[in-house]
Amino acid sequence: MTTEAQATDTKHPLISIRNVSLSYGNFQALADVSVDFHQGEMVGLVGDNGAGKTTLIRIISGLMPPTSGEVYFDGERITKFHPKKAMDLGLECIQQTIGICDNLSVGRNYFLGREPIKRFLGIPFLDKKKIREASAKVVHDFGLRDTIDVDDEISLLSGGEKQTFKIARAVTFRNRVIIMDEPTNHLSVRERARVNELAVQLKQQGLLVIYITHDIFQIHRIADRIVIMENGRKVADVPRDAMSAEALEEIIREGGRAASKVPRGL
Amino acid sequence: MRRLLKRTDTGIIIGCIFVFVLFSLWNPQQWFDWGNLSNIGQYTAILGLLAIGQTFVILIREIDLSVGSVYGIVGITFVSLENNNVSVPVSFILAMLLALLIGLVNAVLVVRAKLSSMIVTLGGLFFYRGLVYVTTHGAVTGVPQAARENWLAQLLGGHWLRIENELLLLLLLAFGCAVILDQTRFGSHLLAVGGDPASAESQGVPVSRVKTFAFCLCSFFAGLSAIVTLANQPQTNVSLGTGMELESIAAVVVGGTLLTGGRGTMLGTVLGAFFFTAVRSQMIALGAPPSWYVAFVGIALLVVVTINTLLARRLKSA
Repeated sequence: MTTEAQATDTKHPLISIRNVSLSYGNFQALADVSVDFHQGEMVGLVGDNGAGKTTLIRIISGLMPPTSGEVYFDGERITKFHPKKAMDLGLECIQQTIGICDNLSVGRNYFLGREPIKRFLGIPFLDKKKIREASAKVVHDFGLRDTIDVDDEISLLSGGEKQTFKIARAVTFRNRVIIMDEPTNHLSVRERARVNELAVQLKQQGLLVIYITHDIFQIHRIADRIVIMENGRKVADVPRDAMSAEALEEIIREGGRAASKVPRGL
Repeated sequence: MRRLLKRTDTGIIIGCIFVFVLFSLWNPQQWFDWGNLSNIGQYTAILGLLAIGQTFVILIREIDLSVGSVYGIVGITFVSLENNNVSVPVSFILAMLLALLIGLVNAVLVVRAKLSSMIVTLGGLFFYRGLVYVTTHGAVTGVPQAARENWLAQLLGGHWLRIENELLLLLLLAFGCAVILDQTRFGSHLLAVGGDPASAESQGVPVSRVKTFAFCLCSFFAGLSAIVTLANQPQTNVSLGTGMELESIAAVVVGGTLLTGGRGTMLGTVLGAFFFTAVRSQMIALGAPPSWYVAFVGIALLVVVTINTLLARRLKSA
């Protein structure tokens, strides 16, 4: 299924951002940004704090509408920006700090926002059996500790396990786009490798992976394409093989002034 | 054992068993007197209904300080309508609609205008009480005898097999709410919103809607509690429900629901209401001045919150 989808989707981008700007009062967070994202690719979205990475992602994941410009998903223009709508389109944003409710069980977190229902006398009750079984399967399939009981509070998981869990959740709900916002911050070396490995697997399964990070060297190893942002503008958009990580780092360090070094025609 | 310790209501279960045994041994004749138990049951029901509503709001990390005044204004509205020859069922429906409307106003101010629920409902506490004083000029007459004999009034305020209907209603509704909390999508969302609203939102949980429902449920239960109190009561007064907001919060907190939201049970809340009611009634029976009760509520709260916090810390490090 994925190979076929990939073949058709190389023609038009899955997500297309056209001349998008966004300002908070006088502050312009995004200025005339245009960028395309294709199915089956991993794009590294890199830039310093305040570069506009997160703002761009917030627009894509429906948390806020742009002030001007257009957003297309699978060729269709998005007019209503809402997280639920983005989720329905198959887009999931994995963030470092949010996405999991620590006070809920592993199972409930797994189905958070899309709890399965079983009707009894017409009353919709939670399908606890399904919650337990499906989440146990995911815990097992994604190599989380076997000692984890899905009825336990998720706060018992480590930082890396929580990230893995979020990715697992995003993937198993048949998503098309996974946005990872600094997914490896505060993780141990081994956990970081595990998360990156998962990201690559997702891409190989035909998903679009947008990976936001500060760490150009880390992303250069795994992404297909690197997009660099600076002061709300896109300053570089290059295939991984076109430039070395060092050259890209220079662009970031010099605040986009070195962007002229980007090879022409890309 | 670990599961038991993790339950937020373990403390209040032990507390209730303790006071029950204590009072049974101390003065069994007085304690097991049917009238005494009946009184405790009735007041537990009134406080318990308020506290159930409050539990919903506290679970989403908000607070409703207006319930005492909502209790007052809904109760007075119910009685006043009856006094103006409106039938009992219609009075009941109109009064409950008023309760829901107040809940909706609270919700809109908190959810849409993004104001602190403490401020919004503190405003409500004064406003609705003030409204009662202004509209009644400080005096209300009780429910007419005919209205008290109405089937609905008897259903809400009468008794069945010598058990107060209020208590049966409380147990029924508490069970229903416990099921909602534990077994439904809304319950799961409620806990998620209380635990981590940003995460809940990011997963598509309709946070605003969940909060709105919680505030409406809270006012609904406050109104229901008032009507249940007055349905079969010969007289009432304009200060009806004063101070009940804090008592309901105390019952919820002693029942193990955390003020930080996301954790708590309906069983704990009902037991919390029973705990305070039983102690108050026994203190009066033993001849202690009523002011002691107020001091006791304070001490009980401090003890429970301290124990809960210590337990939570130990469990976290374990």
